[in-house]
Amino acid sequence: MKEIRIHGRGGQGSVTAAELLSESAFEDGLEAQAFPAFGVERRGAPVKAFARIDDEPIRIRSQIYEPSHVIVQDPTLIGTIDVTKGILDGGMIIINTSRNPDQLDLNTQAEVVTIDATKLALDILGKPIMNTALLGAFSGATGIVSIEAMKNRVKARFPGEIGEKNALVMDKAKEKMEE
Amino acid sequence: MVDFAGKAEPGTTKKYKTGTWRTYKPILDKEACIGCEKCWEYCPDSCKIETEYDGDIIFDTDLDYCKGCGICAEECPVEAIEMELDEK
Repeated sequence: MKEIRIHGRGGQGSVTAAELLSESAFEDGLEAQAFPAFGVERRGAPVKAFARIDDEPIRIRSQIYEPSHVIVQDPTLIGTIDVTKGILDGGMIIINTSRNPDQLDLNTQAEVVTIDATKLALDILGKPIMNTALLGAFSGATGIVSIEAMKNRVKARFPGEIGEKNALVMDKAKEKMEE
Repeated sequence: MVDFAGKAEPGTTKKYKTGTWRTYKPILDKEACIGCEKCWEYCPDSCKIETEYDGDIIFDTDLDYCKGCGICAEECPVEAIEMELDEK
């Protein structure tokens, strides 16, 4: 079972990201679930969202305490929240930042992957909404969920130009992971 | 941040530095600023600070709290404020 925890701020689309991730896994023929957890429901407040993906039915319903993968939408959360908490050895943490992994002060055994998702989103969407870029990066870095399924889900959810642009963002982010 | 109910001291908002939410940050051209107070009036986070520059009153930004909304740059009558991408 793959357990993914997404850290973001209210308004950055962490919940949407978790939902798109599990819908994409489902489209790939896997079992999946997604659910959020917020403290304060307010723009800017720290948000956690979770997704589980498995090839067998998922019976567990709890929050995720030992994720195999962590996605961090906003690098400034690193100072406020222990984003690496409980991450499994051999796990992976994907962080949206313009810096390199070795410039981040993270005390973790997990593999650290960074991508400048905000810049990518600004270039293509014109808005600093970086969730789809990070999903593309997740697909590229892990291969757990196919990029095709992700693009289908984002287009289904945001019909028209917005969906198309977000699908493009996903593609670009996946390419960056393969460099 | 606490994620449980508890007793809060007064004045905790001061400790809650919202500056980390920024995508863009305001850059002030101190020469161009005429100290008209408009940005100070409009700033939703009350983070414009009255300071002195070259003997004149100007208004700069307290980046500890600025969320980078860009309202000040929009409202500035002499376009002394530029919004610039804040690298994180």
